[in-house]
Amino acid sequence: MALLSNAAVLLEKELRTEYRSRELLTTTAVFILLVFMLFSITFHPTGSESQQFGPGLLWMAFLFAASLMLQACFLREQTNDTLSALRLSVSDPFAIFFAKLAANTLFLLLTELFMLPFFAGFFNVRILHVLPQLFLVFFLGSLGIAIPGTAFSAISAQARMRELMLPLLLLPVLTPVLIASTEVTAGLLDVQPAMNYSGLGLMIGFDVVFLTALWLFGEYLLEE
Amino acid sequence: MVKSIINAMILFALIALTAYLAFHYAPIEKTMGVIQKIFYLHIACAFSAFVAFGICFYANLRYVFTRQPKADWLGVSAAEVGLAFISVVLVSGPIWAKPVWGTWWVWDARLTLTFVLGLLYVSYLLLRSMIEEPDKRALFSALFGIFAFLDVPLVYFSIRWWRTQHPQPVILGGPGSGLDPRMRVSYLLMWGALTGLLILLLTARYRLEAMRASVEELRREAEAQ
Amino acid sequence: MKNLDSVLAAYLAGWAIFFVYYVSVSRRMSVLRDEVERLKGLLSKGK
Repeated sequence: MALLSNAAVLLEKELRTEYRSRELLTTTAVFILLVFMLFSITFHPTGSESQQFGPGLLWMAFLFAASLMLQACFLREQTNDTLSALRLSVSDPFAIFFAKLAANTLFLLLTELFMLPFFAGFFNVRILHVLPQLFLVFFLGSLGIAIPGTAFSAISAQARMRELMLPLLLLPVLTPVLIASTEVTAGLLDVQPAMNYSGLGLMIGFDVVFLTALWLFGEYLLEE
Repeated sequence: MVKSIINAMILFALIALTAYLAFHYAPIEKTMGVIQKIFYLHIACAFSAFVAFGICFYANLRYVFTRQPKADWLGVSAAEVGLAFISVVLVSGPIWAKPVWGTWWVWDARLTLTFVLGLLYVSYLLLRSMIEEPDKRALFSALFGIFAFLDVPLVYFSIRWWRTQHPQPVILGGPGSGLDPRMRVSYLLMWGALTGLLILLLTARYRLEAMRASVEELRREAEAQ
Repeated sequence: MKNLDSVLAAYLAGWAIFFVYYVSVSRRMSVLRDEVERLKGLLSKGK
């Protein structure tokens, strides 16, 4: 399929660009660490409070970090003026989004997994026994963040004050993702860990709806 | 000029009607007392706000597929007017809540949803103010508007689900408790009055946007000379 | 009646919001109307 092969080529480009500089991953990771630290300083949570607020803190940190990280997505194309070349290189404009989306999901997921041990250490939370389940939640959550995030990165690139506009556009829309992922994560990190399937269903539903919307309207997002 | 005077008069008439309904016609509710009367305004406004946002969604879709400026005018008008109605919901709600629940605000399902909805459309309007070129502004705000609207049912379901995960204290005296026939009439007429208000504000705002477009065109003509 | 002032406050606040919004739309409208007159004058002079 032309779409997949185009997307694969573009994905490789995205990954190679990041691999050369590694600026996105490192800055995002440090930002998340900062959020952990600030939370601990301002709330100095006790053991049980860490248990209670941990999942929420985790996902808020991811959300804030993502809304900063995703700006680079289309901004890079704008500053280097490569967007028109990109459009010409593919038959289906959705390939561009598919590639960027895959790259963003991957970057988010990598950062989240890297931060997980820090989270477990700082807030004294046991994670090893639910690691595969956490991976699933992180994947679905990252996808949920990345899909509207990639779309809105294209939108905010057209606006003034784009660094502020992207979080402003993205965060209200991500309310369902925040709610669902926090609840599912909380269930997994509970004293008696349990997988919240309705929450997972909600996350999958969100991903499907927005992926479809992106597929339907993607080409318009690329107009100049 | 005459048109806006007539509009203002209709506006006052509608407001007077809501006053009459709320304070004179509707009976006093048994369990909650007088404070229940706020619901007539509160619920009718919530409904009108959703209608406005639905119109905005329709206009957004229309613009993306037809690129007619009129669709853009309708979109921004509907979003602004919808936001006005949502503001009334978010103000009347807490005024009701303080005497009844003892607190101005709770993050219950309905209030949280209303708040997020308001934020979505504030972001929509902010985005518009940040894009100068009219065609781009119309297209990209329409696209955001579409995504935002598609998000609304997801927000609704997720918040409701979230509230089932954490059982809430039972709150007595919801809007539907003890529906006297005069209350039903009051709700209906209030809803009618506020729909009238919605149409009035929407057409006024639409005309404003249309005039803005003609000013743009005249300016371009003047510069060309 | 207790709470009557709350009801009054809610309704007054609601009407105030609608009224202020309508007034802001009207004012923006008259500003634009003046601008239309000005531009039309400019154009007719230029012709």
